[in-house]
Amino acid sequence: MARRYELNDASPVVVIGSGAGGATLANELAQEGIDVVCLEAGSRLTLADVENDPALMGERMGWNDPRVGAPVWLCKTVGGTTMRWSAITPRIQAHELKARTTYGALDDTTLIDWPLTLEELAPYYDKAEDKMGVTGTHGIPPSFETSCYKVLAAGGRKVGYREITSARTAINSVARDGRPGCLQIGFCHEGCKIGAKWSTLYTEIPKAEATDHFELRTNAMAQKIAHDAAGRATSVVYVDERGETHEQKARAVAVAGNVVETTRLLLSSASSLFPGGLGNSSGHVGRNYMRHVTSIIYSVMPGAVNFHKGTRQSGLIMDEQYHKPERGFAGGYFIETAGDYPESVAGTVGGWGKPVGDYLEAFNRLAGVFITGEDPPQAANRISLHPTERDRYGLPVPVLEYSMHRNSDALQRHAIQQTTAVFESIGGTDTRATRGVGPACHNMGVARMSARPDDGVTNRYGQTHDIPNLFVSDGSAFSSSGAANPTLTIVALAIRQADHIAERMRRTEL
Amino acid sequence: MRSADLDRRRFLVAAITLAGAGSGAFGPAGLRIGRAWAQGPLDSSTKETMVRMARLLFPHNAIGDDVYADVLDQAWASAAADASFAETLRQAEVALDGQGGTFVERDEASQVAALHAVERTAFFNPIHATVRSRFYNHPAVWEHLGYAGPSYAQGGYLNRGAGEVGDWLAEVK
Repeated sequence: MARRYELNDASPVVVIGSGAGGATLANELAQEGIDVVCLEAGSRLTLADVENDPALMGERMGWNDPRVGAPVWLCKTVGGTTMRWSAITPRIQAHELKARTTYGALDDTTLIDWPLTLEELAPYYDKAEDKMGVTGTHGIPPSFETSCYKVLAAGGRKVGYREITSARTAINSVARDGRPGCLQIGFCHEGCKIGAKWSTLYTEIPKAEATDHFELRTNAMAQKIAHDAAGRATSVVYVDERGETHEQKARAVAVAGNVVETTRLLLSSASSLFPGGLGNSSGHVGRNYMRHVTSIIYSVMPGAVNFHKGTRQSGLIMDEQYHKPERGFAGGYFIETAGDYPESVAGTVGGWGKPVGDYLEAFNRLAGVFITGEDPPQAANRISLHPTERDRYGLPVPVLEYSMHRNSDALQRHAIQQTTAVFESIGGTDTRATRGVGPACHNMGVARMSARPDDGVTNRYGQTHDIPNLFVSDGSAFSSSGAANPTLTIVALAIRQADHIAERMRRTEL
Repeated sequence: MRSADLDRRRFLVAAITLAGAGSGAFGPAGLRIGRAWAQGPLDSSTKETMVRMARLLFPHNAIGDDVYADVLDQAWASAAADASFAETLRQAEVALDGQGGTFVERDEASQVAALHAVERTAFFNPIHATVRSRFYNHPAVWEHLGYAGPSYAQGGYLNRGAGEVGDWLAEVK
């Protein structure tokens, strides 16, 4: 079905990664008649490979290569992290795109404004929501109200919140775009068994293949982006599943490896012309690494909830997303429902003995919340390459350094306090919250867009300031984190970037 | 060693490391069952100590010792290719017995105190993470807690309880 390209054919755009950013960009380009080769480090699963088994799917699709530092939650599989995501899809707000202007110069941060406005982004949000089937948009009904949602909504209303919705989720509430409506299976993070949740594995990828302008190469681990003497990207070197090295020539290159891998590839591609790595004349590649402020919060309700029965995340309270400095911090956050299973509750509550055992005894009465909130960029929060350790591809092991800014700490405290009030307003007791740094499922900012080339890595289209035919197409390009779960914005930016690349190619500028 | 074994070992190491970092709800979900028995049964005194430790780690009165023993057997079977796991269990037994006499013969308060005394030692986190994963994925524990588990084969929870909240919610609204 799909087209095949020769390695020495320099006409295709080479896209690295097949997740939210990479596959969306690839499909949008292919729909425009632009040839694309997509390199994916993982293999291609089918829905038959998806099972309601967290550990098995962690082996089958997780990115389990060695790393130093705080855990991240990447996937090495066609579809990338869109296989694992919860599919909550709020938009970034206008004031969040003007983070530096709105919040001022927060001490010890490297805050900047995005070099684009919400007016420019809004049409692409519309397209992204249509593409992904976001509930509550484009005439799509809201999502099913799970028990966890009903509990959160009741508590939220009781404490005076008004913006409470079971919409804003990229899981089909009804059959749409050749995919079925959600059956409330509950194992969203293990890959959606029926394809109701938007994942590029069964949306963007097959649609791109149908254009005859697209080739997907699986088990293809990119090692290096090569360039010519003029400093233009010319090819991508990758290793296949047999360990053989290949070099695909390219008209342009777009990197969408999810923040950790995007950093590693740009830095690993250092050359005599670009000794600090590609796109890194500013020194910002790998810097300003953001993870969102998160917390997982449980509370024991007076009666049965059974929060495992249904979509893992099925609705949210949006009232706290705004910038209200009187709360004692800059930026805002979302309070989102979160169902869970026993092993995960035990791990999140932590510890051992009666405090854990007794909590699990109340398993079917637990309600849960996942917080996601603004995390300002800091120069010291960064991803770099280990000086000596190498993985099985011979690539330097990534080193992740991250600590919470005090603004993030204050935001997290507030979010826990508010969520506790929500739960306890309807009789919740023994509310427990994770503090500090959680595992990052939202990774952002290591190749940020900036108006000034010395402030970041990419321009307002995700094109690197240094190399005109090298693009960044994932959350790495975020200038700041905002509060919203990042995938919708990644997809909107990728659609916009595809328009930009197509237009530049029409004008033969690329 | 075959590459599949290497991959599995890498995964085991990663899962233990991450579970130890407390990444429960949004991290990898722990270890899996399924390797052939390759190094004989677990020493009976070690097993007795570990079963007791497992219950103290995750105590549920309604769950019998047979379930905790099964958890240990599963962990032992799947780690059989990994000599370091056997060594970890032996270290744990020696250390616990070293906290004032044979561990299994002491009263519960003394056993809890012994566990507290060793919870920063190297063996504690791997055992804790392994037992947690296997225990809270055990069918008998799921049944006891009211967790209904995988749902796809039954058509999801859509017509099997999704969205149902007890009458309590109407009363507190």
